Amino acid sequence: MAATRAEPRAREIFTTLEYGPVPESHACALAWLDTQDRHLGHYVNGKWLKPEHRSSVSCQDPITGENLASCLQAQTEDVVAAVEAARTSLENWSLLPGAIRAQHLTRLAKMIQKHQRLLWTLESLVTGRAVREVRDRDVPLAQQLLQYHAVQAYAQEEALAGWEPIGVIGLILPPTFSFLEMMWRICPALAVGCTVVVLVPPASPTSLLLAQLAGELGSFPGILNVISGPAPLWPVLASQPGVQKVAFCGAVEEGRALQRTLAGKGPELGLALGAESLLLLTEAADVDSAVEGVVDAAWSDRSRGGLRLLIQESVWDETMRRLQERMGRLRGGRGLDGAVDMGARGAAAHDLAQRYVREAQSQGAQVFQAGSVPSDSPFFPPTLVSDLLPASPCTQAEVPWPLVVASPFRTAKEALALANGTPRGGSASVWSERLGQALALAYGLRVGTVWINAHGLRDAAVPTGGCKESGSSWHGGPDGLYEYLQPSGTPARLPYLSESLNYDTFGLVVPSTLPAGPETGPSPAPPYGLFVGGRFQAPGARSSRPIWDSQGNLHGYVAEGGAKDIRGAVEAAHQASPSWVGQSPGARAALLCALAAALERRGSTLAARLERHGVELKVAKAEVELSARRLRVWGARVQAQGRTLQVAELRGPVLQLREPLGVLAIVCPDKWPLLALVSLLAPALAHGNTVVLVPSGACPIPALEVCQDMVTLLPAGLVNVVTGDRDHLTRCLALHQDIQALWYFGSAQGSQFVEWASAGNLKPVWVNRGCPRAWDQEAEGAGPELGLRAARTKALWLPMGD
Amino acid sequence: MGGRSGQRVLPWRVRDLSWISKIQVNQPAVLRRAEQIQARRPVKKEWQAAWLLKAVTFIDLTTLSGDDTPSNVQRLCYKAKYPIREDLLKALNVHDKGITTAAVCVYPARVCDAVKALKAAGCDIPVASVATGFPAGQTHLKTRLEEIRLAVEDGASEIDVVINRTLVLTGQWEALYDEIRQFRKACGEAHLKTILATGELGSLTNVYKASMVAMMAGSDFIKTSTGKESVNATFPVAIVMLRAIRDFFWKTGNKVGFKPAGGIRSAKDSLAWLSLIKEELGDEWLKPELFRIGASTLLADIERQIYHHVTGRYAAYHDLPMS
Repeated sequence: MAATRAEPRAREIFTTLEYGPVPESHACALAWLDTQDRHLGHYVNGKWLKPEHRSSVSCQDPITGENLASCLQAQTEDVVAAVEAARTSLENWSLLPGAIRAQHLTRLAKMIQKHQRLLWTLESLVTGRAVREVRDRDVPLAQQLLQYHAVQAYAQEEALAGWEPIGVIGLILPPTFSFLEMMWRICPALAVGCTVVVLVPPASPTSLLLAQLAGELGSFPGILNVISGPAPLWPVLASQPGVQKVAFCGAVEEGRALQRTLAGKGPELGLALGAESLLLLTEAADVDSAVEGVVDAAWSDRSRGGLRLLIQESVWDETMRRLQERMGRLRGGRGLDGAVDMGARGAAAHDLAQRYVREAQSQGAQVFQAGSVPSDSPFFPPTLVSDLLPASPCTQAEVPWPLVVASPFRTAKEALALANGTPRGGSASVWSERLGQALALAYGLRVGTVWINAHGLRDAAVPTGGCKESGSSWHGGPDGLYEYLQPSGTPARLPYLSESLNYDTFGLVVPSTLPAGPETGPSPAPPYGLFVGGRFQAPGARSSRPIWDSQGNLHGYVAEGGAKDIRGAVEAAHQASPSWVGQSPGARAALLCALAAALERRGSTLAARLERHGVELKVAKAEVELSARRLRVWGARVQAQGRTLQVAELRGPVLQLREPLGVLAIVCPDKWPLLALVSLLAPALAHGNTVVLVPSGACPIPALEVCQDMVTLLPAGLVNVVTGDRDHLTRCLALHQDIQALWYFGSAQGSQFVEWASAGNLKPVWVNRGCPRAWDQEAEGAGPELGLRAARTKALWLPMGD
Repeated sequence: MGGRSGQRVLPWRVRDLSWISKIQVNQPAVLRRAEQIQARRPVKKEWQAAWLLKAVTFIDLTTLSGDDTPSNVQRLCYKAKYPIREDLLKALNVHDKGITTAAVCVYPARVCDAVKALKAAGCDIPVASVATGFPAGQTHLKTRLEEIRLAVEDGASEIDVVINRTLVLTGQWEALYDEIRQFRKACGEAHLKTILATGELGSLTNVYKASMVAMMAGSDFIKTSTGKESVNATFPVAIVMLRAIRDFFWKTGNKVGFKPAGGIRSAKDSLAWLSLIKEELGDEWLKPELFRIGASTLLADIERQIYHHVTGRYAAYHDLPMS
């Protein structure tokens, strides 16, 4: 018999059958840090950049507090260097054939495969997350993302003709999950031909390691640059010349502040905010499976944030019992232990959770904690909060990791009201074995992703994004590609900032207007009033503004709309919304066609109106004709909306739905008073939005003429037209919290104000930065860009099986 | 195990079909859970060795072949008594724990052989017999009941019966309940393990319903499969059965045992099964009275792993005694 090496403990374990530690060795992560002398800089242009005289932050093991390395903090010069590298390589990279870019991404995927142990141990070591989750989900997903986007790059010339890469992308990442969030965004950006500067929070070595792996491929060193630095550098990166788009992933308030800071600075801003998710558990659910869904959502280190849990009252007791029982079996501990469900995320996350729990308790909530988790900080046990009523102040805040806040609902209708009653619109799951009910809830939820009877599934081919305050940017799938593309020929985005613009006073007061003499308009006189709720109404201010024709003669008076009129118009639009959304695309198309026919019947009047504003009669007629065509074209286009995606590792389809935004406000340009209006209105209506519209300021009369047909043809409130002082009306619209999107075509100052003010409810905005647009051209007047902006995507996961 | 029937409150007859009328099991979600649970609780080193030894005590060491004879049944019984080499047990300091397999499981005609062999070996390991037209269950009820009585007469103290799949697939839950009640009565003092043959039940929802009916009718154990179907003990099925066991416990206060059988061959598999029980039901189910593993070749692999744990070497075929 050979010598024994068994420990005496086996006898004891035989009786207790307890779990033991399953430590994952992180020697290779430490060895990699050693190659950098435990001193990490930035990875720029394929080289390590370790400038002198920089402050540094220490990168610690969040659990032991052990000092792993020191990380240099970037300063403006370093940002400049990184952006410069990205700009230099952009020329080369963006002009390459897609196949070459695809090859490069595939090589990076192989590189990750070869060094995956290093990646997962380093990520788990520095973030404290359970290594199982990083190893079995994050790293394979990173490879899948690269492979998926390599395929997209191959197909780019054919599938994405008419689009070109935006340019240099600035990417700003949150402290947790920075590796995966980075992969979701750099893959599509690089695939379509953009180059990237990633600004990671202090002490995020995994992103640097990934940049090094990409850099070691040799070719194209400057396409991916990673620098680490604190929050004050965000606007610095965003306002570097050449940065065309900033993709931000982080907390809601940070995103809001960044949007305000960046108003007028030039780059487009894509926000992905917040981390809370929602789980809706009906009485028709397989409750045990739904409880596993809660574990997936909140207590398995899979998501950044906490979970709001809505449970039907009839199964409340049963669910709570099962949930609490299940919580007792959760294990927390060091992330590098292969047998724990949850690691720890450092002192900040612990304190955030602790504060929320204390506050909830002080507001009368019940708190249940369980699971075998070390009791000392930074570990935080799985926590279930109940009896926190919607009216208590705590409910307004986002639920932090690892908390679940449970509340009851009575009916499916009430569930939707509760679920949609928060400013968040990220992801949600619906648990019901009744297909009809599940689909009704899934379609009714205002979120970016819905899983039916599952939670937290991800795939590179499925777009992930959100609405409302979760931001309206997308990653993954086709939508993720368009984030980094623009219609070919779009001019570079330059700063158009006006330092003198006072946000407090812009458009605040309407200059008073006095009677300017008798109208000399043709007969019949144009209609007078604001077109709100399907009829012409007198403006709240009971005053009017004169409209002059190109000769300087008084053309007529239009109503002077104000804040109250906007409020009324938005209300009317909301009321009209449900029935318009419920119409089939075919029915909507038919109405648009009818409107086109009416436009043609009214053609001569409209042309005459346009002629009075200095448009040549021939051109005016052409404008009317083209406008009618636009209405018909959009009606037809929207018929073929949405698609079904097939996803690896899922039996069943993922539906990519295109849903209306809601109430869309449109401020039309002064030029092309009819064509621009119709070009904007047609895609908006065809996609199921209801509209509040401010017509051309110089020539609003054609818009009012069209309204005469809308009275009879369109449902009341579908389109509302408010005339008046454009700056004032823009202010009212931009500051309105219940408008879901805003398109502004006007002055540079107006654009800047819209960007700033829309941060209030983070509605997606589309502004022209004071630049004219060729509405008569197919690409700018009726291109696919309008369709993309007129609706939002929802990914609906439908796992199947008996 | 003989003393257990004394503790049991007999009969725990409940017949409430409303317990199964509303139930819906979501198969894709259960499949996901099954996949997760196998990766989430690895055990290593001495924990692994201790868990494997524990697994030995859960094994119903089984031979169910057409060519079974007294000699190989006798060999099996000795292996049941001495499942792991004595020196290995000593090295782990568990030689005094009386580690044997939980039972020996044979065809009815071999019960006498097994009882005799175990008596000769001087141990009280119970003999389990399959019955009721195993494995198809497609014989007359009368002969199925007679089979149980004969096996009990021959000395089997545990009876593994198969249910009538026809009744499940046609939704005759009351008839199924009545049949299992009759099995229960025929068993007398012997323990009743009800084989659901889950591979032939069509859906996980049916698995849940059949589990619940079998428990309501008085089964001591519910068992996944005969080992003769094309689909054997799988984790998704087990999760559904374990959830039914827990629901039954919550409703009645009675703990019913669980026995996966068929296809469990490697030591690694057995560890996953143990952690599955621990996660879904808790430690109180991790004892031979409430958990069994039906297996024939599993024991050999466990012994090999323990050999490796103790010696640091991989065993040759001849290092370990055959069963």
